[in-house]
Amino acid sequence: MRFPWTREESDLDREIQHHLHHLTAEFARQGHSQEEARRLAHRAFGHSDLVKEQCRDESRWAWLSGLRQDATFGLRIMRKSPVVTTAAILSLALGIGANTAIVSLMDAVLWRDLPVPEPRQLVLVNWWAPEYPREVAGGGRGSARREDGGMLADFFSFPSFEKMRDGLTGRASLTAYTIPQQASISYDGRPNVAQVRAVAGNFFSTLGTSPRLGRLLHDNDEAAGGPVSIVVSHRFWTRTLGGREEAIGRPLAINGQTCVVGGVLDPSFFGLLPGDNTEIYVAMAPGMRILDPGNDSLTNARFWGFSLLARLASGETAEQVRPVMQAIFVSSWSARMTYAAKEPRIRLEDGSSGLGSLRREFRNPLLVLGGLVGLLLVIACVNIANLLLARATARRREFAMRISLGCSRMRLIRQLLTESTLLALAGGASSVVVAYITAGMLGEFIAERGALPVTVTLDIRLLAVAGITTGAALLLFGLFPAWRGTRLGAASWLKEGPGSIGHAARRKWNAGRLLLLAQVAMSVVLVMTAIVFTRNLKSIETTDPGFDRRNLVMFGIRPGTSGYTGEQLPPFYQTLERRLAEVAGVSHVGLAGTKPMDLGGWWMQSGLAGETEDHQSFINGVTPTYLQIYTPRMVAGRNISMLDIANDAKVAVISEDLARQFGGGGLLGRTLEFRDGPNRTLSGQRIIVGIAPAIAVSSLKERPFTVWVPLDSKSSHATVVLRTTRPPAQVLPAIHEAVARMDRGLPLVEVITMEEQIAKILQRERMFATLCGGFGILALLLTVVGLYGVMAYNMSRRSQEIGVRLALGALPNDVLVMVLREGLLLAAAGMATGVPLVWLGAKYVEKELYEMKPLEPLSFALTLGVLLAASLFAAGLPALRASRLQPLQTLRQE
Amino acid sequence: MQAKKTDLVQGTLDLLVLKTVAQGPIHGYGIAQRILVTSREMLQVQQGSLYPALHRLERKGLIQAEWRESGNGPMAKYYSLTEAGQTRLRDEMEQWRRYSSAIELVLES
Repeated sequence: MRFPWTREESDLDREIQHHLHHLTAEFARQGHSQEEARRLAHRAFGHSDLVKEQCRDESRWAWLSGLRQDATFGLRIMRKSPVVTTAAILSLALGIGANTAIVSLMDAVLWRDLPVPEPRQLVLVNWWAPEYPREVAGGGRGSARREDGGMLADFFSFPSFEKMRDGLTGRASLTAYTIPQQASISYDGRPNVAQVRAVAGNFFSTLGTSPRLGRLLHDNDEAAGGPVSIVVSHRFWTRTLGGREEAIGRPLAINGQTCVVGGVLDPSFFGLLPGDNTEIYVAMAPGMRILDPGNDSLTNARFWGFSLLARLASGETAEQVRPVMQAIFVSSWSARMTYAAKEPRIRLEDGSSGLGSLRREFRNPLLVLGGLVGLLLVIACVNIANLLLARATARRREFAMRISLGCSRMRLIRQLLTESTLLALAGGASSVVVAYITAGMLGEFIAERGALPVTVTLDIRLLAVAGITTGAALLLFGLFPAWRGTRLGAASWLKEGPGSIGHAARRKWNAGRLLLLAQVAMSVVLVMTAIVFTRNLKSIETTDPGFDRRNLVMFGIRPGTSGYTGEQLPPFYQTLERRLAEVAGVSHVGLAGTKPMDLGGWWMQSGLAGETEDHQSFINGVTPTYLQIYTPRMVAGRNISMLDIANDAKVAVISEDLARQFGGGGLLGRTLEFRDGPNRTLSGQRIIVGIAPAIAVSSLKERPFTVWVPLDSKSSHATVVLRTTRPPAQVLPAIHEAVARMDRGLPLVEVITMEEQIAKILQRERMFATLCGGFGILALLLTVVGLYGVMAYNMSRRSQEIGVRLALGALPNDVLVMVLREGLLLAAAGMATGVPLVWLGAKYVEKELYEMKPLEPLSFALTLGVLLAASLFAAGLPALRASRLQPLQTLRQE
Repeated sequence: MQAKKTDLVQGTLDLLVLKTVAQGPIHGYGIAQRILVTSREMLQVQQGSLYPALHRLERKGLIQAEWRESGNGPMAKYYSLTEAGQTRLRDEMEQWRRYSSAIELVLES
């Protein structure tokens, strides 16, 4: 192939040939022989290479062919030092790759907008009140959090919604949705469970989502009569409905009620918040009939269970709409409130990226991770700068030679910059691979364990940004060594050379060492973080829950959504417990209202009647055998009995630690009160009949006070917990069989062993520990490479000096100690610099730790120990090599 | 001291080349020869400066080149003036005349 610059080259040759031809002819005409004429012509023309060189400088493609030369030369240099090259490219690839993966995750959770048109127009509707507004709100369902000394909640009554929706016509489109509920479904004759969310008919039109297949919901779907149309998520369609277009129009039963699949959402619509697991959307009126049968939730102004989302018309702002909403809101209540100051007030929140709960929860941990991975990138860049610097210094003689031969300094700098660009390109290309793999692994890790239910996809734009930033950083880092490496008096270096004695020692703190020091300091932070979070995870995992966590398995059961009603439920639960107890390999079976070790749960303040002291307690309704699964004996009194359950007796068994809070003795037969809210409203009374040992009930992280009450045997759902005598996996088929014999259409919801469940609720800690551990190891690796590189390079420069020392009688051991001391001193200085950094960063991770301070002496000791061992290794190899130098050889080298 | 070939005044080479090329397509050797002949052998252009100058003028778009059969011998690269080159030549000549007459005035004062 002929490039413009190669053509120019041959043109130039031919042009000069032509000139010489004429000159030769001229001399021949003057009477010289042909031979003589050619010689004279060449002499008259002068140095043709010089002319060519000057012409090349004038050429349009000069810079390009120069670049090509630089690149060829750069590649040769890279091949000549494969260790440095590999280390630099790996550092870059890992640094950029890890950053891109984490930033993709941050983007998915923190920044991504809802995939709808004009997301900026969306606002979330909340209300704030100093306390729960009992006068106007009975039950509530939704999420609420403490804010500004009161509560901020997102649930409204349906009548409030309807009035606000109608009153805002033209200014904003208001829609309502409920919390998704798990329901039993049946499709194609197969029972299953799915997350179902009831939404107002205008939900999808307000959001502006479009269907992948079929149609979405509209207001007509609220009308009674006709088949109930549902919309399913793309994921549900592919996984459960087989991903076939024929699914549209086919029946799907929810809680035994037949519906029709009306449409499939676009895959880009992930739901209302990142990680929204809603699979089925159903219109509000039919939805509440199916999910909440027999209740007047849509007409009761005291039932607040609907969350609102509005799309403002263009030109409207939240500030303009809020007072209008507030006025309608107040007018929609069942009563007027006695104190205006306690009235709930509407607050509007930006809804462009959907609901904020996940963002709030993961904001801090993700920012910490982002900071750490950023630090890792800086370490990687410093590492590369250091390697380049070392190499530039090693090549000083070459530079000096080139400068003295007339090469301009600019040209040398350009050469070095080309080399760092080559590195950046190679690193950038491999970082794409790393980022792709890491993002995939991270996404899988997260999706599989449910630590953070979002889909992480590698965003090419993010990769580009990371690549460009690093490329720029690298050029900057490359420029420094280039500038330094070429700033020299050529003569002095040619004369003195690298072998001169005492040269390296003369400058104790050169740039390379300072960079290395910074690198060690930053590694202290990363290694420390890794150790702290690993210890944190270990300390939670090994916490004694107060019972044997092996051979325990549990699952949810929802007879209430599979056709069992009212009076059929108590005998159903009784039979289920009996049948399961008969299964070979099952030693204990118990039922509970709330799943154990699943965070959350039913919490109340509990105190003795007549006394103001109360404590937040975890309350769970259980069968008599449930407590026996965990602990064989009661501390005092009796257990819950079957009779208690049958009679719905108001009795309670309290945990030993709660009893101790109440003063220990004489508690049996006394009345326990459940109180609610900041005003301690009485919400139930129980007679204490027994005291049970304290066990962990909601997580390993805390051991809350616990109150056990008789199971509500008319509840639509319960959790079954079994203790097996063999590993649960061996007994599970028989358990499935036993349930199927009672009712083939009844799904076992989420079968999981206790150990898996405990691991599941620790996912966030595990994700953190794993990622931080990975970062720590990477940082350590990079530091070892950096330290080794600098030491090995220093040794090679000082080999003559060491040779002289050895020749003059220094023992190999002295040399070993001398070199080791130099490396370790450098590492120690870095560590000393790193400790204050750790101290500064401690407050950001404190929130993520359980029963552990970020700055424990043991963590410090481990960190410094690990780094010291790594530095010993990194400095040890060059030291060993130095001590084994043969004096004669080194002296002869130069 | 006999009359010797004069070195070119700095910056005049481009002008001479432009002027020579303006008389029709001509190759590098021809340019050097023509300058030598028309200056009555006073001005000798060094090949070392001629070719870089030609390439520079070509890159600036003042002259253009094409390969042609020369009368005898191999293919030669013939240069001719572009329109931009003609404008530039007029300007340069104008400037040079003013410059040299100014020098003349000073020297004759």
